Amino acid sequence: MFRSLLRANVARSAMISQGPVRFYSPSNLSKTAISSRVIDVIKSFNKTDASSSNPTEITMESSFKKDLGLDSLDTVELIVAMEEEFSIEIPDKVADELTSVAQTVDYIKDHTDAS
Amino acid sequence: MAVRKFTGLQRDVLHLYRQWIRLAFQKPSANRQNFLNYIHLEFHKNRDLRRKDFTTIEYLIRNGQKKLKTFQNPNLKNIH
Repeated sequence: MFRSLLRANVARSAMISQGPVRFYSPSNLSKTAISSRVIDVIKSFNKTDASSSNPTEITMESSFKKDLGLDSLDTVELIVAMEEEFSIEIPDKVADELTSVAQTVDYIKDHTDAS
Repeated sequence: MAVRKFTGLQRDVLHLYRQWIRLAFQKPSANRQNFLNYIHLEFHKNRDLRRKDFTTIEYLIRNGQKKLKTFQNPNLKNIH
């Protein structure tokens, strides 16, 4: 019980400080490769404002909620779609805090062994 | 950007939703949409529940977790 608590704490501080504690080697995909795939996933997710008749441009700064018009449940669904795309698992705590394209790309780049 | 923090109960709902969506991805891809439709339907039924209706929300979360266990059976491959 306590061990899992400790692990969650370490994972969290690792994420915040971007320090040397890593559980995966950083992904060897380039940032541009990750961003374009992330944007593709968003495009194929048919609930965003980007898939409406008057599409919004998706940029790195796009926020899921404000710019793409997703509610909290849709965001959860989108993040799971990212997990599938990159064959990774994003822990709940981190996933709760991802709110923009840039944040998602950075997390995938630095903290997962995405393929 | 102001990040709106979720309450504990809201987070529980989101985590339950995430588990269900992950479940849909474990099922055969041809039937995935059936699962997604079912999940959307079930969650949207209670969309307009008042935020302070704790007992109902807690009950629904427990119920959803129980159902999730049933659905995790690998022999369950499709729903209609």
